[in-house]
Amino acid sequence: MKPLHPKPLIDQVLKNKRVIITCGTGGVGKTTLSAALGIRAALQGKRTVVVTIDPAKRLATSLGLTQLGDQPTDLTPQIQATLEKVRLNDSNQLHHLPQKITGSLAAIVPDTRKTFENFVRELAPSETAAEKVIKNPIFQVFAKEFSGTNEYMALERLHSLYIQDQYDLIILDTPPTRNTLAFLEAPRLLAQFFDEKLIRWLVLPANKLVATGMKKAFSILEGLTGANFMTHLFEFASGLFSVQENFTVHLKRITELMESPQAGFLMVTAPTPTHEKEVNHFIDTLKSHELHFEGLIFNRTLAYLKRNPAEGTPSAEWTAAYALIDALQKRERQVIHNFTEKQIPICAQLPELARDIHSIDDLFQISLSFDPSTSHSV
Amino acid sequence: MNLPKTSLSKKIATTLHRNLIFIHGKGGVGKTSISQAIALGLAEQGKKTLWVTIEDPTRPPGELLAQGPCLWHLNCSFKLAFEEYVGLKIGLPRLTQIFIQNKLMQYLAKAAPGVHEIVLLGKIWYERSHYDHVIVDMPSTGYGLAMFQSTENISNLFGAGPLHRDAEAMLKTLRSPEETGHVVVSLPEEMPLRESLELNDFLVRNFKQNPATFLVNRVFPTVTDPTGSQFEEPLEMPRELSDRVNPLATSIEDYARMRTWLESFNLRIWKEAGISFGITRQIPPDFNQRESNLVRLLCEQLTSEAYL
Repeated sequence: MKPLHPKPLIDQVLKNKRVIITCGTGGVGKTTLSAALGIRAALQGKRTVVVTIDPAKRLATSLGLTQLGDQPTDLTPQIQATLEKVRLNDSNQLHHLPQKITGSLAAIVPDTRKTFENFVRELAPSETAAEKVIKNPIFQVFAKEFSGTNEYMALERLHSLYIQDQYDLIILDTPPTRNTLAFLEAPRLLAQFFDEKLIRWLVLPANKLVATGMKKAFSILEGLTGANFMTHLFEFASGLFSVQENFTVHLKRITELMESPQAGFLMVTAPTPTHEKEVNHFIDTLKSHELHFEGLIFNRTLAYLKRNPAEGTPSAEWTAAYALIDALQKRERQVIHNFTEKQIPICAQLPELARDIHSIDDLFQISLSFDPSTSHSV
Repeated sequence: MNLPKTSLSKKIATTLHRNLIFIHGKGGVGKTSISQAIALGLAEQGKKTLWVTIEDPTRPPGELLAQGPCLWHLNCSFKLAFEEYVGLKIGLPRLTQIFIQNKLMQYLAKAAPGVHEIVLLGKIWYERSHYDHVIVDMPSTGYGLAMFQSTENISNLFGAGPLHRDAEAMLKTLRSPEETGHVVVSLPEEMPLRESLELNDFLVRNFKQNPATFLVNRVFPTVTDPTGSQFEEPLEMPRELSDRVNPLATSIEDYARMRTWLESFNLRIWKEAGISFGITRQIPPDFNQRESNLVRLLCEQLTSEAYL
């Protein structure tokens, strides 16, 4: 089954958007895909940056670089070198590659802990107020563990890159979360944390607590946690209170950026029934948040694999392998068919690979394989 | 250090017959099916077994369902577990209600770091005494670790008091090789294998006396015999892989051969770290059959390998 249009839908997305956010649960190759998208955009003339929030630094590994850090690393020279190699081997000009890369590609792996501290410093009315929050033991645990901080800080970084205007396209590889939606929930979760009305209760001196219910609840809490914790808690709350107003401003800017038509969401997924449920849920949630869904990217697809007639009659040990691949291909067709029926846009189908990604060269090959109709004409 | 097959099976079987069994691993490695298959196998041995999922959004929160004569499933919910826990601690129903319904306390329970995780872990810890086996399908790596980390965080944040004592008691159980088994599941792929080493470092740091057991799931059917056996040590990347320019496969046969090489090469990551591991093979999906079939077939594999 070959698509009607020779140009994959993904190129329209790369052309029209300034921000692309790739979502998907762990294990579907989101980071590899984001990097390959970045290369494709750079080849199409965009000044591109890929931001990945990932403690395992997987992008770094797949780019063959371990030095990626909080500041942009320029990968354009490596891509140019790969481009020249590929052009040498592609004498038929199958891919219509340019002679020279006209765009650029940079990669950033932000240090979320540092960023969160910087964020508090930026929001706080004074350096002393900032230090008070940062040194608080509750904040230290919070910065590390609170589900939502990593995600939220990724969005902060996205926003600051967006207003710098140094890049035509920013690709955000979202951090791996338990479920895809955790990422979308992050701003709301954090906003809940900075809830002004509730923090106000915590910064009132104890003798001003008028409501007896509140007094009672506090004394139960103290009984459960010990007095030490309560002291830290009140300190932490007064710290939060001082940054609350500025936070609200930031949150509003970020929400506007995410909802703007300049920002598009892609979902990367594997073609299996389990992922199918997840995708439907994801699309519904995006709609309810008024965010722009651009389409699906299937990763690790097997459809391009055909039997090689020159192999002759297979021996008995091949039975299991053939049966497995056949069943996987059937399932894949069925899942993709289900999405097509529902008219959900499919931006690209990336092939399952014969070996792991080790280098820019490999990512380059993937960036050319977004379109199943042209990439594997054997 | 590779154990002979029988002693490896025995080691895995010992872990899988403990009271509290945590199935760890990153997202997409098959923790849910593996944990369900283990629970099914134990229940069929006549053991009273509870299979636990943590806040699975596709199932009703807090739901406890009988799935067989000896098998139950609990979808642990924070909200219900929290109310239950506070009730146990405070004792008086009226005070419990004041506490639970207080907006600020609800806010703190949601926002305070570690509370969410320790309440869920506490619920599992509490349930263990009612069953022969409790098998926990842990959330994917990061969040799962946060659950264990929470015991220590809570223990440090709350210097004294009942929460501190409970956290310490939970840690004691998790560290005990008599009571608790930790199973790390991975796929024979580079990233999951490497990430599970990080996960294992965490487990070793926290539960030194109670080392984890390892399983590689969805191993591809072997079609070539790269080095005589998959369990030899291909420490150098085989030339079949390293000489290959394009990472894409040229045919089904090419893919299957490369896949066998690749998996065998990837598994060096665990071998080099001195890890012995059990294996379950990938089961061809049948689009018309229900998921329970996969669990049944996986359970049969675990049994025939004498892991159960």
